[in-house]
Amino acid sequence: MLFQKTMLWASGVAFLMLVATLPNQVSGQGGMKPVRNSSAPVSAGEKIFARECGPCHGSKGEGTAAYPRALAGNQSLSQLTNYIARTMPPGAKHLPLVDAKKVAPYIFDAFYSPLAQERNRPARVSLSRLTVPQYRNAVADIVGSFRSTGVPDKGEGLQAQYFKARRFDDRERVLERIDPEVQFDFKTGGPQGGEFDPHQFSIRWNGSIVAPDTGVYEFIVRSEHSVALWINDENKPLIDAWVKSGKDTEFRASLFLVGGRVYPIRFEFSKSTQGVDDTDKKKGKPAPPASVSLAWKRPKQPEEIVPARCLFPAPVPEVFVLTAPFPPDDRSMGYERGNVVSKEWDEATTAAALETADYIVKHRQELAGTVDDKTQLQAFCRKFVERALRRPLDTETAQRYITRQFDISPNTETAVKRVILLTLKSPRFLYRELGVPATALASADPYDTASRLSFALWDTIPDETLLKAAASGALATREQIAQQAERMAADRRAWPKQRDFFFQWLKLDQYPDLAKDLNRFPDFTPAVAADLRTSLDLTLKNVVRSEKSDFRELLLSDKVYLNGRLAKTYGVSLPENAPFQPVDLDPTARAGILTHPYFLAGFAYRATSSPIHRGVVLTRSVMGRVLPPPPAAFTPLAASLHPNLTTRQRVSLQTTPLGCQSCHSTINSLGFTLERFDAIGRLRSAENNQPIDATGSYESKAGQKVKFTGAQDLARYVADSDEAQAAFVEKLFQFVVKQPIRGYGAQALPDLKREFKRSGYNINRLTTQIAVASALPVAPPTDSKGLKRVTQK
Amino acid sequence: MANRNTRRQFIRDLGLSAAALPFLTNLPCLAAPDAKPRRKQRLIVIFSPDGIVPTTFWPDAEGPINAFKESLSPLTPFKDKTLILKGVCDKIRGDGDGHMRGIGCLLTGIELFPGNVQGGSDTPAGWSSGISIDQEIKNYLQASPATRTRFGSLEFGVMVPERADTWTRMSYAGANKPVSPIDDPYQMFGKLYGNLKDRESLKSVLDDLKQDFARVRTRVGAQDRQILDEHATFVREMEQELKSSNQKDVGHPVPVLEPGVHRDNDKMPQLSKMQIDLMVNSFAADFARVATFQYTNSVGQARFRWLDIQEGQHDLSHEPDNNTVAQEKLTRINKWYCEQIAYLAKRLAETPEPGGYGNLLDNTLIVWTNELGQGNSHTLDNIPFALIGGGAGFKMGRSLQYNNVPHNRLLLSIAHGFGHRVTRFGNPDYCGDGPLPKLT
Repeated sequence: MLFQKTMLWASGVAFLMLVATLPNQVSGQGGMKPVRNSSAPVSAGEKIFARECGPCHGSKGEGTAAYPRALAGNQSLSQLTNYIARTMPPGAKHLPLVDAKKVAPYIFDAFYSPLAQERNRPARVSLSRLTVPQYRNAVADIVGSFRSTGVPDKGEGLQAQYFKARRFDDRERVLERIDPEVQFDFKTGGPQGGEFDPHQFSIRWNGSIVAPDTGVYEFIVRSEHSVALWINDENKPLIDAWVKSGKDTEFRASLFLVGGRVYPIRFEFSKSTQGVDDTDKKKGKPAPPASVSLAWKRPKQPEEIVPARCLFPAPVPEVFVLTAPFPPDDRSMGYERGNVVSKEWDEATTAAALETADYIVKHRQELAGTVDDKTQLQAFCRKFVERALRRPLDTETAQRYITRQFDISPNTETAVKRVILLTLKSPRFLYRELGVPATALASADPYDTASRLSFALWDTIPDETLLKAAASGALATREQIAQQAERMAADRRAWPKQRDFFFQWLKLDQYPDLAKDLNRFPDFTPAVAADLRTSLDLTLKNVVRSEKSDFRELLLSDKVYLNGRLAKTYGVSLPENAPFQPVDLDPTARAGILTHPYFLAGFAYRATSSPIHRGVVLTRSVMGRVLPPPPAAFTPLAASLHPNLTTRQRVSLQTTPLGCQSCHSTINSLGFTLERFDAIGRLRSAENNQPIDATGSYESKAGQKVKFTGAQDLARYVADSDEAQAAFVEKLFQFVVKQPIRGYGAQALPDLKREFKRSGYNINRLTTQIAVASALPVAPPTDSKGLKRVTQK
Repeated sequence: MANRNTRRQFIRDLGLSAAALPFLTNLPCLAAPDAKPRRKQRLIVIFSPDGIVPTTFWPDAEGPINAFKESLSPLTPFKDKTLILKGVCDKIRGDGDGHMRGIGCLLTGIELFPGNVQGGSDTPAGWSSGISIDQEIKNYLQASPATRTRFGSLEFGVMVPERADTWTRMSYAGANKPVSPIDDPYQMFGKLYGNLKDRESLKSVLDDLKQDFARVRTRVGAQDRQILDEHATFVREMEQELKSSNQKDVGHPVPVLEPGVHRDNDKMPQLSKMQIDLMVNSFAADFARVATFQYTNSVGQARFRWLDIQEGQHDLSHEPDNNTVAQEKLTRINKWYCEQIAYLAKRLAETPEPGGYGNLLDNTLIVWTNELGQGNSHTLDNIPFALIGGGAGFKMGRSLQYNNVPHNRLLLSIAHGFGHRVTRFGNPDYCGDGPLPKLT
């Protein structure tokens, strides 16, 4: 696999060169799918193939009577090239190497390589294992199902208790309140709002904290006095600086957290000496200064004080966070999916099973209510296996998974461990669904239906409500399934997955490098860059999770979330410490997320905008068009070589050759519409003393030509475009279901698109309907041309 | 050393006399490269708290040991392998009370940082400002592939309070980096043998797993069978790997721990024995070459009810010399600690050196020490140092009396005994004349 990826990489080198300073936008999926669309030119390789090879091998390498085998294999590109040059066509005279070097990449990418074969295979719903996020969520939720369900209340910040003593004695409590964040400088006095001895007081903050993204979080605690921080572990502090030693006033520790989940947090501070009480000695003497703060570094983000919007005063139970590393999921088709297994993945599941088993054995008193009572532990194990396998157990399974393990183990602890290992290594747990799927709702297994819904909407196992519905026959009709899907889509657990989708859709999931030229943009610090990501996050959440959840609003709204720091950078008047709030930013020029400064800055160079990068995302993600990689390696023309040209003029100059124009006529014409926004996404009217030209155009697949005067024109077109809506529906479907939409019948896309329109382009509604469509049975393909539609709808 | 011509040349360069040769060949860095493989040297530092009773501890004079006083009497079977050092003093001053400096500077030989932990007297302090000798030697041994082990060092404890402060930590990985001892034998067992247990558990479920794969396989369509079959081969490969790794296991019977011994004052004897057994096993398996073993903590307040002593140890240790009842109890307490040392020495002596000559005790140096010279005076003079075993190549079977030498020099001697020829350790002001004389 690795080798093939390398080859693909090589074939995409040209494109990579062009975007060398923006590695993130092309590294992933979809970036360089070598599939041609009808508007792309016929390559030299393709011409050679048609002329020299096609007569025997068939026009698509499918074989002919003369050579009745398809051209498919797993040789590398260079091996294939050499083979052709040495042997093809058969006879005395073979292709010259220079031609072999042209035809081999075409053959390789069009149908020869395993990847190409996979791509050309007719779409079907294939057996899939849990993706890595699904695995992590599933084990967290199985364990969590044995704990109380604590969902954080509304409200932000942490519950704070202030004591006029060095220990947290309720009789000494002076003050109780909610602190939005922890950042205090008490100087030589005590906290405000109560009577404190400046020598001796202590504070305890309690509540919960949400991790927006999956990854390693670094927590940074600062104080001149005793501090200790607990996160997601009631017993073992993440940071224990209760002993003050030397001049250290800053303490750091890192922790892996799964995104979208809420974890318990406790933070304690005490100003006083520890050990033997020396209060009396200090009476009348000046008190030393005191301050305390709680900061973090989210994955790939700069340090910041933990913001109030990520803190909640209500407690939640501990979450089991699996730390075992997994190899990344396949994303070759543009979305993460579980279509392949590998040795590394299998080893990761072993490590993960062991880690989970250790955790459960260690916490069995809490989770099972006993340490060694066999009956209770067996009952616990039965529930564990049922939840992991997402269905009630038949006699044989119960016997194999539970009874037998207890019979053969030397003690109950070992038995529990074996049950967990066997369950988490089992294909019944690891694959989303086993067995030949039903073709009619009447014969569908309601537990399969439940799993399809929960993996689609939440990327995890079904919750209790869903399993109860399955057990009681309440998942038997389309209406019942839709009802459950609606409940789940409205739940807060649906948002993290939706959020991931939008960041992937906009190609911002890999954290674009936002280091800008500080001579030109002195305000654009890492903190501003991080604020921009938060701003986009808030914008997405507030539109998508609103009642209307309107796709068009996402594209047309001129509201941008800004805080004081961003307001200063983008020329809006807000107090310096203002929290994030929706602001009308440049209402005559901006329109929705395609003009959000994070998107614009992410697709730009250090000092200048990049119409090509912006245009590529618009073409591929937003309009759903396919672009082949460029024919050769190009380095962008340096702005310094053409000091009098605008960016638009330079890009036009470089992409003038005919070979470029077949794609760049589309890319540039879309990208140019965003030219009124510079490298940090700030509005501008001139560049190099020339007025900005933000006109552009687009030719649809249907051949319709439209012209744009700028970003707002473009956004209005996208919001109403049939093609853009279809692209959005398809991409969302594949992200949610992790299967190709064509596997669900030829009507799946048009049906969903029609429903989308009928709902007023409601994104939540679409998500729900995608989940329902994926939960309903699909008929197997009936002929080679397409799939027969199931009549359940 | 590689480019020296001969071993003799090297020794001449060091300025060592020919008389030292027979002994020095036992030291790893001086052994001829083509001679038998260099022996495995091991270090165990054992801590017990609150000082000792001088009259029942110290031998009366220098010289060969004929008989021990009461506190040390359990070591009688090992008197030829024991070296008692009197007159070694902890000279480190600065912040922190005697108990804090007593434990915090004991193995580090350097001052505590100023901090916020207030003791019963003196100024408040924090953690030690330097690495401890056990970690220093561990780092030295881990730096060389020939002496590197899986863990390098293991930190054992018995009833160490569940709070991290200056009184509860003696081992330091560096300045402000206290190392927490593990005082739960089950936790230590998990650390030592967890992988092995995991492999056993995995092996035990493989048959069921394979059968389940077979059952599931029949339920999926032909096109989907490919991924399942591929997956099943990984499971079979894991099985083979588990089988082949079996031979490479620890090479000794995995100890079986008495179940259900929880952290409890009255369980100290069982906990102590379990920890010692694990320690000996981990040395036999070569999991580590360095260990520390900490009974309770500085200011330890264990109640020795199994010796029919109801008062806490620390309270007793404050009683004056003329309280003979208290002194007798303290003697019995220290004798109990000494019994633990003797049990450890016995276990080591019973265990043959795997793949080598002699037994584990021949190649292990036990250093039994304490944060105070005596509890009622809180003196840091005459810190008890009882050394047992041949690990550092010291000449054993003797009692030595030094005249008020800083304990940094002893720490240096131990480092040198392990081939780590540092010229200073801890506060350099107390390293003046280098390693202690008369040890070898």
